[in-house]
Amino acid sequence: MVELIHSSWIIALLGALVIYAVPASQKAYVAIITIMLSALATSWLAVSALTGNAVSFIFWGGELMRDVRVSIDALSAWFILIINFTVITGVIYGSGYLRVYNETSRKLTFHWILFVLFHLSMVWVCMLQNSMAFLIAWELMSLSSMFLVIFDSNNPQTLKAGINYLVQMHISVIFLTIGFIWVYFQTGTFSFDAFTAYFGTHSNFWLFVVFFVGFGLKAGFIPLHSWLPHAHPAAPSHVSGVMSGVIVKLGIYGILRVITYLTTDYILIAEVIITVSVLTGLYGILNAAMHRDFKKMLAYCTIENIGIIGIGMGIGLMGLANKMPLLYYLGFGGALLHVLNHSLFKSLLFFSAGSVYQQTHTRDMEKLGGLLKLMPRTAFTFLIGAVAIGGMPPFNGFISEFLIYNGLMQGIQLDNISQIILFALTFAGLSVIGGLSIITFTKSFGVIFLGSPRQHLHHEVHEVSAWMLVPQYFIIALMMAVAFFPQFFFAVIAKIMVHFSPLNPMPEPLGFLAYSQLLQQISLYSLLIIVLALVVWGLRAWVTRGKMVSIAATWGCGYTAGNAQQQYTGKSFSKSLSKMFNFIVLERKEYKELGAGDIFPTPKRYVSHYHDFFEDILIHKFTNQLLYAVNYFKFIQNGRVQSYVLYGIIFIMAIFLLTIFNVML
Amino acid sequence: MLSVLLIVLAASFFTGVLIRTKSIASGRKGPGIFQPLYDVFRLFRKGAVYSQTTSFIFQIAPTIYFTSVVVAMLVVPFGKSAGLISFDGDFIFFAYVLGLGKFFSIIGAMDTGSSFEGMGASREALYSMFAEPAFFILIGSLALLTGHTSFHDIFLSLHLGSSVSYALGALGAFVLLMIAMIENSRMPIDDPKTHLELTMVHEVMILDNSGFDLGLILTAGFLKFAIYGTLIFNLFSGTISYQYAIPLFIAMQLLLAVVAGIVESFMARFRMTHNAQYIVVLSSVSLLVFFATLLISGKFI
Repeated sequence: MVELIHSSWIIALLGALVIYAVPASQKAYVAIITIMLSALATSWLAVSALTGNAVSFIFWGGELMRDVRVSIDALSAWFILIINFTVITGVIYGSGYLRVYNETSRKLTFHWILFVLFHLSMVWVCMLQNSMAFLIAWELMSLSSMFLVIFDSNNPQTLKAGINYLVQMHISVIFLTIGFIWVYFQTGTFSFDAFTAYFGTHSNFWLFVVFFVGFGLKAGFIPLHSWLPHAHPAAPSHVSGVMSGVIVKLGIYGILRVITYLTTDYILIAEVIITVSVLTGLYGILNAAMHRDFKKMLAYCTIENIGIIGIGMGIGLMGLANKMPLLYYLGFGGALLHVLNHSLFKSLLFFSAGSVYQQTHTRDMEKLGGLLKLMPRTAFTFLIGAVAIGGMPPFNGFISEFLIYNGLMQGIQLDNISQIILFALTFAGLSVIGGLSIITFTKSFGVIFLGSPRQHLHHEVHEVSAWMLVPQYFIIALMMAVAFFPQFFFAVIAKIMVHFSPLNPMPEPLGFLAYSQLLQQISLYSLLIIVLALVVWGLRAWVTRGKMVSIAATWGCGYTAGNAQQQYTGKSFSKSLSKMFNFIVLERKEYKELGAGDIFPTPKRYVSHYHDFFEDILIHKFTNQLLYAVNYFKFIQNGRVQSYVLYGIIFIMAIFLLTIFNVML
Repeated sequence: MLSVLLIVLAASFFTGVLIRTKSIASGRKGPGIFQPLYDVFRLFRKGAVYSQTTSFIFQIAPTIYFTSVVVAMLVVPFGKSAGLISFDGDFIFFAYVLGLGKFFSIIGAMDTGSSFEGMGASREALYSMFAEPAFFILIGSLALLTGHTSFHDIFLSLHLGSSVSYALGALGAFVLLMIAMIENSRMPIDDPKTHLELTMVHEVMILDNSGFDLGLILTAGFLKFAIYGTLIFNLFSGTISYQYAIPLFIAMQLLLAVVAGIVESFMARFRMTHNAQYIVVLSSVSLLVFFATLLISGKFI
């Protein structure tokens, strides 16, 4: 077993060497094989951990780290399996996506080696149970993903997004380091077991907040989300699919891991998490409904789903606080299942959106239209993802959202008035999120794939290759498995939940088995929807056979010169919504009013952009102030070599003098 | 099972009665109450015209829309008899299945590439989004009051506690009636009789549908009305036995249709820009129900 753990990194390093050696056209295949082998090793361990044989061993990490525990328990096993599946589909999709870059060998080498490392580091983040080692893997993950994001490094926008991501991830690392060092100074060890000691004797809330900020930056809770809408559109689509599907989930993993060590302050922490999560969900989907860049839309939608997962975690914590096992199981169970579901449909959506981008070379949905006729298979996969992400039956999104809804309904029965009101408002918030996601995805699907092309594209659009389509079909198959065999996944989650919180073992509650049956029943009803739809479809075919069918122009309400430019745009589709929420969704317009003396109007420009509320209010304000302050120190960096030499001398002198004084003292 | 039969029965006359009421109120004789049904049957027998812009989405959308309404219908109970589909949390299923239908009817409209249909689709999506929290808070409060989470159990045990629950029922009936109006695009949100495409909501979405598909959409509309009517009936029925419940149900559906007809006859449609605010008000009525529930169940300390 231990050999398997080691084999994961040995395979990855060997694979990296081979990728370097082989010609450009083969690199992708080597990456696929490497990742598959490495994933096979860790998946094997994960499955055996889920069936009860948790793997754990300790190695000596030098004087600094001391004993480093590597362990795959049920919680990490769940995340490892999700990572492996998403990364495998991502690398296969990516091999098709990057085929056009086959001439740029060096770039590809760099890219695929980093992709392999990226996978390795994500898996190891889930396994390491020593703060220092964890931070190293975490850092490796952030760095490798940053370099993956800036694949298109000739584009200044992409570089900017990459640097933005890099900086924000390091702010996250600062918080994590503060948290870990805090624990280290109180307990004297970097091992995760120290958390048990710390949380047992100190206030839980503040340290949790530090970790919540650190991991929340990765996960994208508001107001810490602002890297997502920049990094995801900039990255190549297989990277954004994996980042959105998995890397943000590792933020969730971190928060869950910390939660397992908590001992007190549950209610306060739960209330904070639920409040932040509902706002995150609403804010994310509201922004997603506005944006015309479809990858940005998907990025905001990821923020929304993090909110839904967060709601589940909050419910679970409420269950811990009130000693209600059912609430605990429904909340955390719903959150974990939604982690899986979201990683599936979000990577599916990013992949199909990436196919659109690869063929049309634009991310602006207002320039597209009618793609369904040119790329029918991609349209199909996008449609499946769009319906599933809205949480509608008969797809998998409904299963996890249903569990979270049920958790909320159990929570409403509590006795504490403030908790009841919080749950009821969350209930309403979640329903609004559902309604908004219908708006978002009908808009995106309708504008990109339906109607007729809005602009003439400079590239001829074809359906993408099987390399890019087949991984998407695999994802759909797994989504269907969750939708139609939810009891299986539910049983797995129940296993995780039993071992989830070692300090507070929660026995499987009485009503829990009923939920498994309930989910099974729901999957039957989902089947009923499909069967009934087929029956109605058959009836339709039977009744309308032989009837006259004619093809004509769309009814133009009497106007016969309609053209594709006059189609309803995505912007107008969400306009009334954006007007209603203009205090959150900031729209900036640039245009010149027609002056009184303008007798002969010249061509005008009109630009309108949606800005991120928190980025504008918090981050830009802060960075502007910072820049203003830093400006005063500009004289130091004056560009004269002589000055820099002087700084060096002063520095050396200072060291010299200080040492002398130190000796004398 | 009983609920399905009764909903289909109610659906058959509801719209007819509504139209008849309107014509009488405006001094006309009006068509028979089964005229809408004849219209639908006539549509079922007709051929179809498809826009050349459309794709298969446009063809399957009405089918899925109709299916979703039928499945939602199976969830609705009738008095003592549960719906064919009944489980804890079934109202979430109910709302999300209707959402599925809405999703497809919206993209079906967008498939035509017509700016009018896109406009209608956008409005429909927006209004139903705003109606969602009202529904969820209402049913959630009733769940809190009764301690149950399925339609059937909630409605059965709603009036076991005290008669104050009838007052809640009245508020709930108001909310559900208004949601029914929104979902079926009737006054005061939408005027099905308008002749200007710019001011339509639902009607404009289905401008390009014809033949069998249009028949399906209209039938789904009738069913939706009856579904909400049955939910409203359930708010009051409690555990009364069938021989009273069934006549009461029919009487209540007739009453609802007449009331809706009278409202439509004497009221102008709201301004389009005010619709959203109006629907948000519904949520606050739901919140009223919620706080009343908290008072009744003694959770306010």
